[in-house]
Amino acid sequence: MGAAIIGFFNRMDRAVLAAFACIIALLLVGSLYSSSFLSPEYLLQQLQVASFLGLIATGMMLVVLLGQIDLSVPWVLTVGGMMSTAAAGWDAPWNLLAIPFGIFCGMALGFANGIGVAYLRVPSMIFTLGMNAVAQGLMVLRTGGFAPQDHATEAMRVLATGRLVLNIPNALFVWGIVGAVTIFVLTRTTFGRAVYAIGNRERAAYLSGLATQRTVLLAFTASGGLAASAGVLLAGYSTKAYQAMGDPYLLPAVAAVVLGGTNILGGRGSYLGTIAGVILITLLQSILSVMQINEAGRQLIYGAVIILMLLIYGRQRKQI
Amino acid sequence: MDAVTAPLFRMEGVSKRYGGVRALEEASLRVEAGRIHAVLGENGAGKSTLIKIMAGVVQADQGLMELDGRKVAFPTPKAANGAGIVCIFQELSLIPDLSVADNIAISDPPTRFGLIDGRAQRRLAEEALARAGAEDIHPMAPVKDLPLSRRQMVEIAKALARRPRILILDEATSALTAGDVAKVFAVLKRLRTEGLALLYISHRMHEIDELADECTVFRNGRNVATYKAGTKTGKEVVEMMIGREYSHVFPPKPAGRDRTTSAIEVRNLSWTNRLTDISFRASPGEIVGLGGLDGQGQRDLLLALFGVLKGLSGEILIDGRPAQIRSPRAAKGSRNGMALIPEDRKTEGLMLPMSVRDNLSLAALGTVSRFGVIDQVKEAKAVEEMVSLLAIRTAGTGISVGSLSGGNQQKVVIAKWLMITPRIILLNDPTRGIDVGTKQEIYQLLRRLADNGATILFYSTDYDELIGCCDRVLVMYDGAIIRTLEGADINEHMLISSALNIQTEGEARHA
Repeated sequence: MGAAIIGFFNRMDRAVLAAFACIIALLLVGSLYSSSFLSPEYLLQQLQVASFLGLIATGMMLVVLLGQIDLSVPWVLTVGGMMSTAAAGWDAPWNLLAIPFGIFCGMALGFANGIGVAYLRVPSMIFTLGMNAVAQGLMVLRTGGFAPQDHATEAMRVLATGRLVLNIPNALFVWGIVGAVTIFVLTRTTFGRAVYAIGNRERAAYLSGLATQRTVLLAFTASGGLAASAGVLLAGYSTKAYQAMGDPYLLPAVAAVVLGGTNILGGRGSYLGTIAGVILITLLQSILSVMQINEAGRQLIYGAVIILMLLIYGRQRKQI
Repeated sequence: MDAVTAPLFRMEGVSKRYGGVRALEEASLRVEAGRIHAVLGENGAGKSTLIKIMAGVVQADQGLMELDGRKVAFPTPKAANGAGIVCIFQELSLIPDLSVADNIAISDPPTRFGLIDGRAQRRLAEEALARAGAEDIHPMAPVKDLPLSRRQMVEIAKALARRPRILILDEATSALTAGDVAKVFAVLKRLRTEGLALLYISHRMHEIDELADECTVFRNGRNVATYKAGTKTGKEVVEMMIGREYSHVFPPKPAGRDRTTSAIEVRNLSWTNRLTDISFRASPGEIVGLGGLDGQGQRDLLLALFGVLKGLSGEILIDGRPAQIRSPRAAKGSRNGMALIPEDRKTEGLMLPMSVRDNLSLAALGTVSRFGVIDQVKEAKAVEEMVSLLAIRTAGTGISVGSLSGGNQQKVVIAKWLMITPRIILLNDPTRGIDVGTKQEIYQLLRRLADNGATILFYSTDYDELIGCCDRVLVMYDGAIIRTLEGADINEHMLISSALNIQTEGEARHA
């Protein structure tokens, strides 16, 4: 048993271990402030909030593993939220399509990102940033001049806030399923292997006869779909969708992926690390808001802590 | 050790470990001024570690180093450079986007008022290039526009610009063409008469025969012998290096093969101005060499066949039927069954941080998976088979391929393609910078694959290989095939004279 545990830790990345250690440290710091930090109810609530970020970080991780980045997350997320609530206003049977329609719109934008990066070979940093602006323009165009239907459907609310099984938030189940699928895809499928290979060396992957462009296209489409599904859930969580609802999620998503030990240049990283990174970021935000520090101070500490943690263990090893 | 006069440089009892691996053990070496000292050994024998210690890249765990009889230590490469020890490493260290002059002066550019003095830098670069015998390279040209062999010349010029007392060349000629090698040798001999000490590392025995005054042989991290050049036969030296008997390097060529069917036929293939009207055919069981000077279109031809280049004109026929090969993915597909072992294993062949297993199965993922899901048992089995078939020396299939020695990495690149059981194998200089023992294994493997019906197209910068391995050699010049050599015509003289596209005796000897 002991040996098995040691073996497990040896197999885990140092960064992943460090992220989990930071989570425990944060909880301990929080518990000094208030004992409720260690209560199951608080932890479940944090995991529920973490689920939204978890979905976004999943897509971001796929893209980062390829050595790319998706900066269109904020407004693709908003598109997901606003389009699903728009579909919620459709006539009777069609409003059932609210959730898939929101996700579909995000996937379409992600697909466009993928075309730009994989086939037109525009650097993802610029292309996805442009796509973010395009998505924003589309949403402003839609709301400009009149107040559209922006209320979430019952299904969205239940998915985001309900607790159907064992008092566990439904949103956490959603993240759990997405996470399990992602782990399977990354470790067991040819697509996953291709993602790591392309992130390490695209030229070698191409010369090995991998479908590099298709892989990049798929990853960006998935990232768009996941960001949009987070938007759908967030719209359900706050019962409505609104402009700029995705803005606070870009930095946390990238930070969660990198803090979880994924190499920002691609090719290395495990989903377990991303889970740790997401929980870590969520806890940090929660503790800072509970401590009632004003917004400026919160941003300062939040940014500083992320930089500090990256300094401790997020730096690239020099080898190779 | 009890010499009266101290040598220029001496190391004694130097050891170095990387984790559990002993890279160097109780090594000693004496380097005299005005001599060329060759260091021989297989990959992983400790040569690279020895040099890295001398050049301050890594620190020895124990042992002593003396320069001019005084004890020295080099904590950084800068310290070693300062003491006059300059190294030209096997891996090119140039920055592609900077100009030749910028690269040559990179560590210590001449400055005026705190800014880089472009004119002085250019002068310095011109001078260094002239010393390296590469006046034809323009100092303002970006390095990325130069072919590999010219880059290597820049690398040498860069080292000379630092005014070394001891110049270390680690496989510095492995990317050079025969003409360049001759130039470099003239430069090295001149440097010797100027009183420099040269430490020369190469896998090419005839280079060492020509250059070296002394030789030291390393095996498994120890120096097994030091002798005066010319006192041992090639066979003895190789046996010292590999520690076992060394028989035929090249497997015998089968005589009178049936060439009526062609596995691959190329008709009037052209691409931009780099490939011109190329036509040839090759049969199953044949090893066809691509010869000629470096950069005459051999690489482009292999890439064109493998579907990497866009905008080809002409026809490619596989098994007699026209084939449209638009990507490596199409090339390796079961209709064409092609494999390309690329030139640079570090950037084109392997993902160094990924595991041996992941690298091996990468090209053959389709054969070990169903509906995109990898069958791990099947994959592990196929990988194990390859590891044992090619005798890849690795501590396991889960470790990163970057931790293997160069020769074993190259075996992984080859094995990765054998996993799809290719019918046509394209090789782009597959033995560059790997050790004798592994080379020999690769030659034998190629012949075995050919005997089993594969067609092999084999580009090499090493004439010995073309002579020893190939049934036919297509000599390329300026993007076209200018001559096909067969049988007894495949010899050094014919290869060189056709490579230079000249007939006259005198000019052929010049190369």
